[in-house]
Amino acid sequence: MTIDVKKQKIIVMPCSGIGKVHGLIAREATYAVTDELAPDSFEPMCLALLVSGDEEALAKIKKMDCITVDGCPKLCAAKNVEMAGGKIVRSIRVVDAFKNYRGAEPGTATKLADDGWTIVSEIAGGICNKREGEVS
Amino acid sequence: MADGEIKVGIISCSGEEIPEGTISRLATRRVLELMRPDNTVTICLPLFLAGNEAEREFATKHPTITVDGCSKLCAKKGTEKHSGPVSAAIVVSEILNGEGACCARSAKCQTETDKEAVWLVSEEIAKAVDSIISENCCCSVENADTGECACSKPLPGMVIEVDGRPVTIAGLSLIFDHLAENGLAADDLCGDKLLETVKIYHQIEPEEENVYKTALISAYKKYRRQ
Ligand code: SF4
Repeated sequence: MTIDVKKQKIIVMPCSGIGKVHGLIAREATYAVTDELAPDSFEPMCLALLVSGDEEALAKIKKMDCITVDGCPKLCAAKNVEMAGGKIVRSIRVVDAFKNYRGAEPGTATKLADDGWTIVSEIAGGICNKREGEVS
Repeated sequence: MADGEIKVGIISCSGEEIPEGTISRLATRRVLELMRPDNTVTICLPLFLAGNEAEREFATKHPTITVDGCSKLCAKKGTEKHSGPVSAAIVVSEILNGEGACCARSAKCQTETDKEAVWLVSEEIAKAVDSIISENCCCSVENADTGECACSKPLPGMVIEVDGRPVTIAGLSLIFDHLAENGLAADDLCGDKLLETVKIYHQIEPEEENVYKTALISAYKKYRRQ
């Protein structure tokens, strides 16, 4: 069966890293895309489903394109999607977005401050801009 | 906490698809930060597959509680499959009798109801922590820190000498490891890359960039020789 990418949603998979603000930014950027900016084009998936080996999730990830959003260079989301046989069309690193915000105070792993939400918007906007034409 | 006392591991599913996943993440953080900061540690669940052996040993080194959003029990199953047995398993949807489904996934939309849900779940986690500690109060865990996620504590700093004064840079050894893994040679040309990476985490004024670059080259060379 051939999948028509244009008609199919793309999975956005954040790492949601629990200990650093970067994980929360990844998570909130995902919701900004899937809940607000482009719910018809993107959907989230629980990363933990892949870790637990859930069969339905493993089958789904093999059929859909996926954008991973990782907080730190350990790239947990990207590595888990790859190991599950998913197709990553774009791998985003929150630490890279920080390069444009030197000295920013993004908040904590529990609560974002204004700078954190600004970075969320930048990442989310970048994901949506790539939807048409498609992802590089 | 005295040496030799146990630290309880808490692993959250943080499921992205449903509000209960957000509640599991926030309740776990509340226990780690506010309720039992001295007795608990955490690790990112996906690190069991993406990380190294020490990280996979987490549940064998710490009595571990998993916190799952729903009955799929991803954190419990993932931990047992890749790390070790769990001492207690908490399921948010059960504690909230299914009412967590009305809560928000994003922090942007959080209401008082969401906060109450987090509070309720964190109380249950804290109770489980206390119960494990009381059961294990006479036991010690050797090398209890091994395999603990770097997320659960401040990144260790490394001191470098910048223009004659000591400066601590949090996580510098991790940055050095990462750059070394990516093939950055420890020579006189590595300064720009070192500076660019360190600046992401540590504020450096433009007029200080050159002295930092010199200090970082020297520290990186020394680190790679060890
Ligand atoms: S336990 Fe439920 S909420 Fe948590 S990751 Fe699994 S499916 Fe998602």
